[in-house]
Amino acid sequence: MKEIITLLIPRYLSFKNGSLSLNGKNRRLRLLLFATLILLFWAGVFIVFRRILIYFSGIDEFGNILAHKLLSMVITTFFALLTFSGIVASLSKLYLSRDLGLVHSLPVRSGGIFMARWIESTIDSSWMTLFFSIPVFLSYGMVYKAGPFYYLTAALMMVSLCLTASAVSVFLVLISAFILPAGKIRSLFVFLGLIFVVALIVAFRLMRPERLVNPESFTSLLLYLKEMGTAGSPFVPATWAFDSLSSALADLKTEAFFHLSLCWSFTGALYFIVNWTAKLFYFSGYTNAQTASAWPLTHTMGVSVGSRQFSGMVGRPAKGLAAKEVRTFFRDQTQWSQLFLIAALIVIYLYNFSVLPVDQAKVGTVYLQNIFSFLNMGLAAFVLTAIAARFVYPAVSCEGNAFWIIRAAPVTLKKFLWVKFFLYYVPLLFLTELLVVSSNILLQVKPFMMVLSIVTIFFMTPGIIAMGIGLGAAYPDFNSENPSQAVTSFGGFLFMLVSAGFIALVIILEAGPVYQFFMAEIQGRRLSNLQTAWSIVSFVIVSLICTLAVILPMRFGERQL
Amino acid sequence: MIELINLTKRYGRVLAVDHLNLKVEKGELFGFIGPNGAGKTTTLRMMAGILGATEGSISIAGIDIAKYPERAKGMIGFIPDRPFLYEKLTGMEFLRFIGDLYGVTEEDSHARAEELLQRFSLYNWEDHLIESYSHGMKQRLIIASALLHDPEIIIVDEPMVGLDPAGIRMVKNIFRDLANNGVVIFMSTHTLAIAEDLCDRIGIIHKGRMIALGATGDLKGTACLIDGDLEEVFLRLTEKGEGAL
Repeated sequence: MKEIITLLIPRYLSFKNGSLSLNGKNRRLRLLLFATLILLFWAGVFIVFRRILIYFSGIDEFGNILAHKLLSMVITTFFALLTFSGIVASLSKLYLSRDLGLVHSLPVRSGGIFMARWIESTIDSSWMTLFFSIPVFLSYGMVYKAGPFYYLTAALMMVSLCLTASAVSVFLVLISAFILPAGKIRSLFVFLGLIFVVALIVAFRLMRPERLVNPESFTSLLLYLKEMGTAGSPFVPATWAFDSLSSALADLKTEAFFHLSLCWSFTGALYFIVNWTAKLFYFSGYTNAQTASAWPLTHTMGVSVGSRQFSGMVGRPAKGLAAKEVRTFFRDQTQWSQLFLIAALIVIYLYNFSVLPVDQAKVGTVYLQNIFSFLNMGLAAFVLTAIAARFVYPAVSCEGNAFWIIRAAPVTLKKFLWVKFFLYYVPLLFLTELLVVSSNILLQVKPFMMVLSIVTIFFMTPGIIAMGIGLGAAYPDFNSENPSQAVTSFGGFLFMLVSAGFIALVIILEAGPVYQFFMAEIQGRRLSNLQTAWSIVSFVIVSLICTLAVILPMRFGERQL
Repeated sequence: MIELINLTKRYGRVLAVDHLNLKVEKGELFGFIGPNGAGKTTTLRMMAGILGATEGSISIAGIDIAKYPERAKGMIGFIPDRPFLYEKLTGMEFLRFIGDLYGVTEEDSHARAEELLQRFSLYNWEDHLIESYSHGMKQRLIIASALLHDPEIIIVDEPMVGLDPAGIRMVKNIFRDLANNGVVIFMSTHTLAIAEDLCDRIGIIHKGRMIALGATGDLKGTACLIDGDLEEVFLRLTEKGEGAL
């Protein structure tokens, strides 16, 4: 036990000293902003859940069933999230961390190292879900006026769920690392990404959530209620967790205790199974992971774009930087799983539009279609922000310790940043336009809305990309083992906040003129002079904001880097 | 060729380099030695344009690196002490990338890269990802990349770390040949025997200040030693060494 604690001390000290390395004022400011953002989000989750539950409690007959269905979905989602992040965290902690060489050279049992790493990965993968689960359970407790027994059950249930998810992930990682050939451990990310995406799409398609808000699509109320009340599989830990919590909510102490015991006994059993598996497989799996694949590359991936025409157009240094960027991106298999996730996001996004019941609405279909299309611009820009947070914001940090090469080369940082900008701008513009155009086609919007969406996205995309590159350059982390996680840093949060503000501003500025235009068209009249002037001024301000959104962050990033 | 004028670098309250003045002429192989934390790497990184100076200036072949960083950097080949590279590129791709950054023509870049890979015994590994290279191979690849654009000045921090004896001899010969052909080599090292063996002049830096400068014989005089090698001179000067030149 002592050796496990000793092995965990460096992590604790690094955390403690890491915050000391920032100067006092900066540190306080960052902490304050960070805490405010987290608290706002936390409060937002609480308010939304409380409102939903109050709304449900007002519905006779099946309001209670809806609330329980929601709770079941939340717990299943938590379990899925915990398992997936557990896999990523344990893979990194057990096999890929830089300090593993040092740790394995110490006179410590391999079992001790495994246990210390497992504890670390459990904490890393669980704390956020645990923290954001509090407002959800709190809102249930308050709406259902539950007593202390419910809160105690919720706490014990969540801890058990975290430990179980972590044990399941570690078990899968241990087996995979042992089976995979040497040097292929990173391929696990690709494999996992693919599995996750397929599971997500299949689950989403099977659930057909749009039916739940439209009871008329069921042949009878009975069928609908049956669908809502269907229990989860009795072999899944998330079902036991849900059962214990729903029993505690109804103050059924014996049932709650029984289901909670199921959760904890399974956690305990897993603890022994994982330890036993680790004894058998961990060290040989670790040895496998240390061997880099030594096959020569027989083909040049991607940029034989290195053709003369291309370099003639953009200059040799820019061409070199672009080629390097594309090659390193596509050869890093950890990025591939992210690409799969984006593919899943797009499929679900478009699927949502294809099943929107606009034709069943009581308000005019044309009106609703165009409202959706207008909001869709903002939604697509938010999707772009999420993608940019994963790929564009960490682009500078991805240079890692090799950044000295750029600093020592006769290339300006401005050029370096602009190359990064254009490399992400072109594909992401294409992607976002594709989203907007496809969803508009599905909504069958008017040509005006189609043109407005295309043009607005065309002007917003550079701003969002520039914010990602600029703020990523202003707050780089060249020492990170996984730069794509930089989005959870202060700069990452700042990027998402600024980007969301920018999107909201553009949408608000455009909303007025677009509304006037539609009302005029519906009423068959022309815009008044005042309305025309208002529209022109709004669009001029939007263009100005979009231009500044490109120039200012890029300059800021260049100056700070 | 290289001129440091009152070069100063502060990290917060810590004075890493303290008003350093130095001139290194064309074709000179200059050794820069000092204890750990003396300010060697900081000075080298400022000369390579990676770090900005707090005060003072650096002139590279008459060009102020702070005013015209790209022009100055184009004349320099920098070899850092630790071989951090783009692990997902192959050796050949990395050299071509460096060629692109330094504006070497396509034809020259390829021919020169092949020549250097052969010279540094990396030719058979040219299509392998750098992540599969050993430490010594990465170090050789960095040295090769620094020579790709035929620099007039080479700034090198601990060149022999990670190299095997054959590699050390090869690098020593290359540096000597380059200096004979008019290239300035500015080398920081802890391996005093190499500095003594290779360098025309040696500067000893301690607590950010230059405490001794000259050929090995001159340094012995500064240290008031009649006999003894550079190691003894170094230890004597850095033990007492508060005074600056």
